[in-house]
Amino acid sequence: VSAPTRLDLAIETALTAGLGTSAVFLVGGLALESAALLRAGLLLLMLTPVVRAVVVTVGLVLRRDWLFTVVSLAILGVLGSSLYTAARIAADR
Amino acid sequence: VAEPSTLLLFLTGAGTGLVGSLLGLGGGVFLVPLLALAMGVPIRAAIAASLISVIATASASATVNLSRGLVNLRLGLVLEVATSLGGLAGGLTAAHLSQRQLFATFAATMTLMGVLMAARSGRRNVIPDTSVDPGRLGGRILEGGTLYVYRVRRLPIGLLASLLAGAISGLLGLGGGIVKVPVLNTFCGIPIRVAAATSTLMIGVTAAASAFLYFARGDVILHLTAAVALGALPASLLGARLSERVPTRFLKLLMTAVLLVVAARMAWAAR
Repeated sequence: VSAPTRLDLAIETALTAGLGTSAVFLVGGLALESAALLRAGLLLLMLTPVVRAVVVTVGLVLRRDWLFTVVSLAILGVLGSSLYTAARIAADR
Repeated sequence: VAEPSTLLLFLTGAGTGLVGSLLGLGGGVFLVPLLALAMGVPIRAAIAASLISVIATASASATVNLSRGLVNLRLGLVLEVATSLGGLAGGLTAAHLSQRQLFATFAATMTLMGVLMAARSGRRNVIPDTSVDPGRLGGRILEGGTLYVYRVRRLPIGLLASLLAGAISGLLGLGGGIVKVPVLNTFCGIPIRVAAATSTLMIGVTAAASAFLYFARGDVILHLTAAVALGALPASLLGARLSERVPTRFLKLLMTAVLLVVAARMAWAAR
Protein backbone atom coordinates (compact mmCIF):
# COMPACT_ATOMS: atom_id res chain seq x y z
CA VAL A 1 0.00 0.00 0.00
CA SER A 2 1.48 3.31 -1.01
CA ALA A 3 0.10 6.68 0.10
CA PRO A 4 -2.85 7.84 -2.03
CA THR A 5 -2.03 10.69 -4.42
CA ARG A 6 -4.04 13.91 -4.68
CA LEU A 7 -5.61 12.57 -7.85
CA ASP A 8 -6.59 9.36 -6.02
CA LEU A 9 -8.36 11.50 -3.43
CA ALA A 10 -10.07 13.66 -6.07
CA ILE A 11 -11.41 10.51 -7.77
CA GLU A 12 -12.59 9.22 -4.41
CA THR A 13 -14.46 12.51 -3.78
CA ALA A 14 -16.13 12.38 -7.21
CA LEU A 15 -17.29 8.80 -6.65
CA THR A 16 -18.58 9.51 -3.14
CA ALA A 17 -20.50 12.59 -4.34
CA GLY A 18 -22.09 10.65 -7.23
CA LEU A 19 -23.06 7.68 -5.08
CA GLY A 20 -24.40 9.89 -2.27
CA THR A 21 -26.55 12.04 -4.55
CA SER A 22 -28.00 9.09 -6.43
CA ALA A 23 -28.75 7.27 -3.14
CA VAL A 24 -30.79 10.28 -1.94
CA PHE A 25 -32.85 10.25 -5.17
CA LEU A 26 -33.35 6.46 -5.02
CA VAL A 27 -34.47 6.46 -1.38
CA GLY A 28 -36.83 9.35 -2.15
CA GLY A 29 -38.10 7.57 -5.26
CA LEU A 30 -38.86 4.34 -3.39
CA ALA A 31 -40.47 6.17 -0.43
CA LEU A 32 -42.66 8.44 -2.58
CA GLU A 33 -43.20 5.84 -5.32
CA SER A 34 -42.00 8.40 -7.84
CA ALA A 35 -40.79 7.01 -11.17
CA ALA A 36 -39.22 10.37 -12.03
CA LEU A 37 -37.05 10.34 -8.88
CA LEU A 38 -36.06 6.68 -9.46
CA ARG A 39 -35.14 7.41 -13.06
CA ALA A 40 -33.07 10.44 -12.00
CA GLY A 41 -31.33 8.42 -9.26
CA LEU A 42 -30.43 5.55 -11.60
CA LEU A 43 -29.19 7.93 -14.30
CA LEU A 44 -27.02 9.73 -11.72
CA LEU A 45 -25.61 6.37 -10.64
CA MET A 46 -24.78 5.43 -14.24
CA LEU A 47 -23.22 8.85 -14.84
CA THR A 48 -20.97 8.56 -11.76
CA PRO A 49 -18.23 6.61 -13.62
CA VAL A 50 -18.44 9.14 -16.47
CA VAL A 51 -17.88 12.03 -14.06
CA ARG A 52 -15.05 10.02 -12.52
CA ALA A 53 -13.46 9.59 -15.96
CA VAL A 54 -13.69 13.36 -16.54
CA VAL A 55 -12.01 14.03 -13.16
CA VAL A 56 -9.18 11.62 -14.06
CA THR A 57 -8.65 13.36 -17.40
CA VAL A 58 -8.51 16.82 -15.81
CA GLY A 59 -6.13 15.49 -13.13
CA LEU A 60 -3.79 14.04 -15.77
CA VAL A 61 -3.79 17.33 -17.70
CA LEU A 62 -2.88 19.19 -14.49
CA ARG A 63 -0.03 16.71 -13.98
CA ARG A 64 1.05 17.30 -17.61
CA ASP A 65 0.96 13.53 -18.07
CA TRP A 66 0.14 13.78 -21.79
CA LEU A 67 0.47 10.11 -22.70
CA PHE A 68 -2.09 9.04 -20.13
CA THR A 69 -4.27 12.07 -20.91
CA VAL A 70 -4.64 10.64 -24.41
CA VAL A 71 -5.51 7.22 -22.95
CA SER A 72 -8.09 8.86 -20.69
CA LEU A 73 -9.59 10.82 -23.59
CA ALA A 74 -10.00 7.54 -25.49
CA ILE A 75 -12.08 6.19 -22.58
CA LEU A 76 -14.23 9.33 -22.61
CA GLY A 77 -14.65 8.81 -26.35
CA VAL A 78 -16.04 5.30 -25.82
CA LEU A 79 -18.38 6.50 -23.06
CA GLY A 80 -19.48 9.36 -25.30
CA SER A 81 -20.34 6.96 -28.14
CA SER A 82 -22.28 4.78 -25.72
CA LEU A 83 -24.31 7.79 -24.54
CA TYR A 84 -24.86 8.91 -28.13
CA THR A 85 -26.01 5.42 -29.21
CA ALA A 86 -28.29 5.19 -26.16
CA ALA A 87 -29.83 8.57 -27.01
CA ARG A 88 -30.49 7.37 -30.57
CA ILE A 89 -32.10 4.14 -29.32
CA ALA A 90 -34.28 6.08 -26.86
CA ALA A 91 -35.33 8.53 -29.59
CA ASP A 92 -36.34 5.64 -31.88
CA ARG A 93 -38.54 3.97 -29.26
CA VAL B 1 -44.45 -11.63 -13.63
CA ALA B 2 -44.83 -11.13 -9.87
CA GLU B 3 -42.05 -8.86 -8.68
CA PRO B 4 -40.12 -9.82 -5.51
CA SER B 5 -40.66 -7.55 -2.49
CA THR B 6 -38.56 -4.41 -1.97
CA LEU B 7 -37.03 -5.87 1.19
CA LEU B 8 -36.00 -9.10 -0.53
CA LEU B 9 -34.44 -7.12 -3.39
CA PHE B 10 -32.63 -4.84 -0.96
CA LEU B 11 -31.22 -7.86 0.91
CA THR B 12 -30.22 -9.53 -2.36
CA GLY B 13 -28.34 -6.39 -3.37
CA ALA B 14 -26.71 -6.25 0.07
CA GLY B 15 -25.62 -9.90 -0.01
CA THR B 16 -24.15 -9.77 -3.50
CA GLY B 17 -22.56 -6.37 -2.79
CA LEU B 18 -20.89 -7.72 0.35
CA VAL B 19 -19.43 -10.85 -1.25
CA GLY B 20 -18.57 -8.96 -4.43
CA SER B 21 -16.66 -6.21 -2.63
CA LEU B 22 -14.87 -8.77 -0.42
CA LEU B 23 -13.55 -10.36 -3.61
CA GLY B 24 -12.89 -7.10 -5.41
CA LEU B 25 -15.69 -7.72 -7.89
CA GLY B 26 -18.88 -5.89 -8.72
CA GLY B 27 -21.01 -8.83 -7.59
CA GLY B 28 -22.90 -9.18 -10.87
CA VAL B 29 -21.72 -12.77 -11.17
CA PHE B 30 -24.01 -13.65 -8.23
CA LEU B 31 -26.72 -11.08 -8.85
CA VAL B 32 -27.68 -12.13 -12.38
CA PRO B 33 -28.22 -15.82 -11.45
CA LEU B 34 -30.11 -14.87 -8.26
CA LEU B 35 -32.47 -12.48 -10.04
CA ALA B 36 -32.94 -14.49 -13.23
CA LEU B 37 -32.92 -18.05 -11.89
CA ALA B 38 -34.11 -17.79 -8.27
CA MET B 39 -36.59 -14.91 -8.62
CA GLY B 40 -37.78 -15.31 -12.19
CA VAL B 41 -36.90 -11.78 -13.29
CA PRO B 42 -36.69 -11.64 -17.13
CA ILE B 43 -33.04 -12.09 -18.13
CA ARG B 44 -32.62 -8.68 -19.78
CA ALA B 45 -34.12 -6.88 -16.78
CA ALA B 46 -31.84 -8.93 -14.48
CA ILE B 47 -28.79 -8.00 -16.55
CA ALA B 48 -29.76 -4.32 -16.58
CA ALA B 49 -30.36 -4.27 -12.81
CA SER B 50 -27.07 -6.04 -12.27
CA LEU B 51 -25.09 -3.60 -14.43
CA ILE B 52 -26.41 -0.64 -12.45
CA SER B 53 -25.90 -2.37 -9.11
CA VAL B 54 -22.37 -3.33 -10.16
CA ILE B 55 -21.62 0.36 -10.73
CA ALA B 56 -22.73 1.05 -7.14
CA THR B 57 -20.70 -1.83 -5.65
CA ALA B 58 -17.52 -1.24 -7.64
CA SER B 59 -17.57 2.53 -7.13
CA ALA B 60 -18.12 2.16 -3.39
CA SER B 61 -15.25 -0.38 -3.20
CA ALA B 62 -13.06 1.91 -5.29
CA THR B 63 -13.45 4.76 -2.78
CA VAL B 64 -12.05 2.49 -0.05
CA ASN B 65 -9.26 1.13 -2.27
CA LEU B 66 -8.24 4.59 -3.47
CA SER B 67 -7.76 5.91 0.04
CA ARG B 68 -5.59 2.86 0.76
CA GLY B 69 -3.40 3.61 -2.26
CA LEU B 70 -4.08 0.13 -3.68
CA VAL B 71 -5.32 1.30 -7.09
CA ASN B 72 -2.79 1.33 -9.95
CA LEU B 73 -4.33 4.21 -11.92
CA ARG B 74 -2.09 4.05 -15.01
CA LEU B 75 -2.60 0.33 -15.48
CA GLY B 76 -6.32 0.82 -14.85
CA LEU B 77 -6.56 3.50 -17.54
CA VAL B 78 -4.77 1.44 -20.18
CA LEU B 79 -6.97 -1.60 -19.56
CA GLU B 80 -10.11 0.54 -19.28
CA VAL B 81 -9.85 1.51 -22.95
CA ALA B 82 -10.21 -2.20 -23.78
CA THR B 83 -12.94 -2.97 -21.21
CA SER B 84 -15.12 -0.02 -22.18
CA LEU B 85 -14.86 -0.86 -25.89
CA GLY B 86 -15.77 -4.46 -25.05
CA GLY B 87 -18.63 -3.26 -22.86
CA LEU B 88 -20.08 -1.16 -25.64
CA ALA B 89 -19.80 -4.04 -28.13
CA GLY B 90 -21.31 -6.52 -25.67
CA GLY B 91 -24.19 -4.18 -24.85
CA LEU B 92 -24.98 -3.81 -28.55
CA THR B 93 -24.75 -7.59 -29.21
CA ALA B 94 -26.86 -8.63 -26.21
CA ALA B 95 -30.04 -7.53 -27.96
CA HIS B 96 -29.51 -10.27 -30.58
CA LEU B 97 -28.89 -13.30 -28.35
CA SER B 98 -31.44 -15.69 -26.86
CA GLN B 99 -31.76 -16.37 -23.14
CA ARG B 100 -30.25 -19.84 -23.61
CA GLN B 101 -27.26 -18.53 -25.51
CA LEU B 102 -26.68 -15.98 -22.75
CA PHE B 103 -26.78 -18.67 -20.04
CA ALA B 104 -24.42 -20.96 -21.97
CA THR B 105 -21.90 -18.15 -22.51
CA PHE B 106 -22.08 -17.37 -18.82
CA ALA B 107 -21.43 -21.00 -17.77
CA ALA B 108 -18.51 -21.49 -20.15
CA THR B 109 -16.78 -18.27 -19.01
CA MET B 110 -17.12 -19.10 -15.32
CA THR B 111 -15.79 -22.65 -15.71
CA LEU B 112 -12.73 -21.49 -17.60
CA MET B 113 -11.89 -18.83 -15.02
CA GLY B 114 -12.50 -21.16 -12.07
CA VAL B 115 -10.12 -23.78 -13.49
CA LEU B 116 -7.50 -21.13 -14.23
CA MET B 117 -7.72 -19.71 -10.74
CA ALA B 118 -7.54 -23.14 -9.08
CA ALA B 119 -4.54 -24.17 -11.14
CA ARG B 120 -2.44 -21.15 -10.26
CA SER B 121 -3.60 -20.16 -6.78
CA GLY B 122 -0.28 -21.00 -5.08
CA ARG B 123 1.90 -18.64 -7.09
CA ARG B 124 3.51 -15.44 -5.82
CA ASN B 125 3.98 -12.50 -8.14
CA VAL B 126 5.83 -9.98 -6.05
CA ILE B 127 9.53 -9.30 -5.76
CA PRO B 128 10.78 -8.61 -2.20
CA ASP B 129 13.51 -6.28 -3.49
CA THR B 130 12.51 -2.63 -3.68
CA SER B 131 15.48 -1.64 -5.82
CA VAL B 132 13.86 -3.35 -8.81
CA ASP B 133 12.39 -0.82 -11.25
CA PRO B 134 8.59 -1.42 -11.42
CA GLY B 135 8.49 0.09 -14.93
CA ARG B 136 5.93 2.49 -16.35
CA LEU B 137 2.88 0.43 -15.36
CA GLY B 138 4.07 -1.56 -12.34
CA GLY B 139 4.11 -0.46 -8.72
CA ARG B 140 4.80 -1.21 -5.10
CA ILE B 141 2.68 -2.84 -2.43
CA LEU B 142 3.14 -3.19 1.32
CA GLU B 143 2.17 -6.60 2.65
CA GLY B 144 2.82 -7.88 6.16
CA GLY B 145 5.22 -5.03 6.84
CA THR B 146 7.39 -5.70 3.76
CA LEU B 147 7.46 -3.46 0.69
CA TYR B 148 7.26 -5.49 -2.53
CA VAL B 149 7.71 -4.46 -6.15
CA TYR B 150 5.71 -5.87 -9.05
CA ARG B 151 6.21 -5.41 -12.76
CA VAL B 152 3.46 -5.78 -15.34
CA ARG B 153 4.15 -8.75 -17.60
CA ARG B 154 2.40 -9.87 -20.79
CA LEU B 155 0.39 -6.64 -21.20
CA PRO B 156 -1.19 -7.82 -24.49
CA ILE B 157 -2.82 -10.73 -22.62
CA GLY B 158 -4.10 -8.26 -20.03
CA LEU B 159 -5.55 -6.07 -22.79
CA LEU B 160 -7.18 -9.02 -24.55
CA ALA B 161 -8.66 -10.28 -21.28
CA SER B 162 -9.97 -6.78 -20.57
CA LEU B 163 -11.61 -6.56 -23.98
CA LEU B 164 -13.26 -9.96 -23.39
CA ALA B 165 -14.20 -9.00 -19.84
CA GLY B 166 -15.85 -5.87 -21.19
CA ALA B 167 -17.76 -7.81 -23.83
CA ILE B 168 -18.93 -10.35 -21.25
CA SER B 169 -19.88 -7.47 -18.98
CA GLY B 170 -22.08 -5.88 -21.61
CA LEU B 171 -23.58 -9.23 -22.64
CA LEU B 172 -24.23 -10.74 -19.23
CA GLY B 173 -24.54 -7.82 -16.81
CA LEU B 174 -21.29 -8.35 -14.94
CA GLY B 175 -18.57 -5.82 -14.28
CA GLY B 176 -16.04 -8.25 -15.70
CA GLY B 177 -13.89 -8.37 -12.55
CA ILE B 178 -14.40 -12.13 -12.45
CA VAL B 179 -12.41 -12.39 -15.71
CA LYS B 180 -9.90 -9.58 -15.25
CA VAL B 181 -8.77 -10.27 -11.68
CA PRO B 182 -7.69 -13.91 -12.29
CA VAL B 183 -5.97 -13.06 -15.60
CA LEU B 184 -4.15 -9.99 -14.25
CA ASN B 185 -3.04 -12.02 -11.25
CA THR B 186 -1.99 -15.25 -12.94
CA PHE B 187 -0.65 -14.01 -16.30
CA CYS B 188 0.38 -10.39 -15.82
CA GLY B 189 2.09 -10.64 -12.45
CA ILE B 190 -0.16 -8.20 -10.58
CA PRO B 191 -0.61 -8.98 -6.86
CA ILE B 192 -4.22 -10.08 -6.30
CA ARG B 193 -5.11 -7.14 -4.03
CA VAL B 194 -3.83 -4.60 -6.55
CA ALA B 195 -5.55 -6.48 -9.39
CA ALA B 196 -8.83 -6.48 -7.47
CA ALA B 197 -8.54 -2.82 -6.39
CA THR B 198 -7.63 -1.61 -9.87
CA SER B 199 -10.44 -3.73 -11.30
CA THR B 200 -13.03 -2.08 -9.01
CA LEU B 201 -12.08 1.31 -10.43
CA MET B 202 -12.39 0.05 -14.02
CA ILE B 203 -15.67 -1.79 -13.48
CA GLY B 204 -17.73 1.40 -13.13
CA VAL B 205 -16.76 2.63 -16.59
CA THR B 206 -17.11 -0.84 -18.13
CA ALA B 207 -20.61 -1.34 -16.75
CA ALA B 208 -21.67 2.22 -17.60
CA ALA B 209 -20.66 1.74 -21.26
CA SER B 210 -23.40 -0.88 -21.68
CA ALA B 211 -25.84 0.21 -18.91
CA PHE B 212 -26.89 3.27 -20.93
CA LEU B 213 -27.90 0.99 -23.81
CA TYR B 214 -30.07 -1.24 -21.60
CA PHE B 215 -31.63 1.86 -20.04
CA ALA B 216 -32.41 3.33 -23.45
CA ARG B 217 -33.98 0.04 -24.62
CA GLY B 218 -36.34 0.12 -21.64
CA ASP B 219 -34.88 -2.99 -19.95
CA VAL B 220 -34.44 -1.27 -16.57
CA ILE B 221 -37.26 -2.01 -14.10
CA LEU B 222 -36.96 1.15 -12.00
CA HIS B 223 -38.21 -0.03 -8.63
CA LEU B 224 -36.41 -3.40 -8.74
CA THR B 225 -33.10 -1.88 -9.82
CA ALA B 226 -33.28 0.92 -7.26
CA ALA B 227 -33.91 -1.52 -4.38
CA VAL B 228 -31.03 -3.81 -5.40
CA ALA B 229 -28.58 -0.92 -5.92
CA LEU B 230 -29.54 0.67 -2.59
CA GLY B 231 -28.84 -2.63 -0.81
CA ALA B 232 -25.52 -3.01 -2.58
CA LEU B 233 -24.19 0.43 -1.62
CA PRO B 234 -23.74 0.16 2.18
CA ALA B 235 -22.84 -3.55 2.00
CA SER B 236 -20.06 -2.81 -0.48
CA LEU B 237 -18.52 -0.14 1.70
CA LEU B 238 -18.47 -2.71 4.52
CA GLY B 239 -17.10 -5.54 2.35
CA ALA B 240 -14.31 -3.41 0.92
CA ARG B 241 -13.22 -2.46 4.43
CA LEU B 242 -13.30 -6.09 5.62
CA SER B 243 -11.39 -7.40 2.61
CA GLU B 244 -8.07 -6.19 4.01
CA ARG B 245 -8.35 -8.59 6.96
CA VAL B 246 -8.98 -11.68 4.86
CA PRO B 247 -5.89 -13.73 3.84
CA THR B 248 -4.99 -13.63 0.13
CA ARG B 249 -5.07 -17.40 -0.30
CA PHE B 250 -8.56 -17.59 1.18
CA LEU B 251 -9.72 -14.92 -1.31
CA LYS B 252 -8.38 -16.98 -4.22
CA LEU B 253 -10.05 -20.18 -3.00
CA LEU B 254 -13.35 -18.42 -2.36
CA MET B 255 -13.29 -16.98 -5.86
CA THR B 256 -12.56 -20.39 -7.38
CA ALA B 257 -15.42 -22.02 -5.50
CA VAL B 258 -17.82 -19.25 -6.48
CA LEU B 259 -16.90 -19.51 -10.15
CA LEU B 260 -17.49 -23.24 -10.30
CA VAL B 261 -20.80 -23.18 -8.42
CA VAL B 262 -22.20 -20.38 -10.58
CA ALA B 263 -20.97 -22.11 -13.74
CA ALA B 264 -22.73 -25.35 -12.80
CA ARG B 265 -25.97 -23.54 -12.04
CA MET B 266 -25.84 -21.62 -15.33
CA ALA B 267 -25.01 -24.73 -17.36
CA TRP B 268 -28.06 -26.39 -15.79
CA ALA B 269 -30.22 -23.44 -16.85
CA ALA B 270 -28.88 -23.53 -20.42
CA ARG B 271 -29.40 -27.28 -20.91
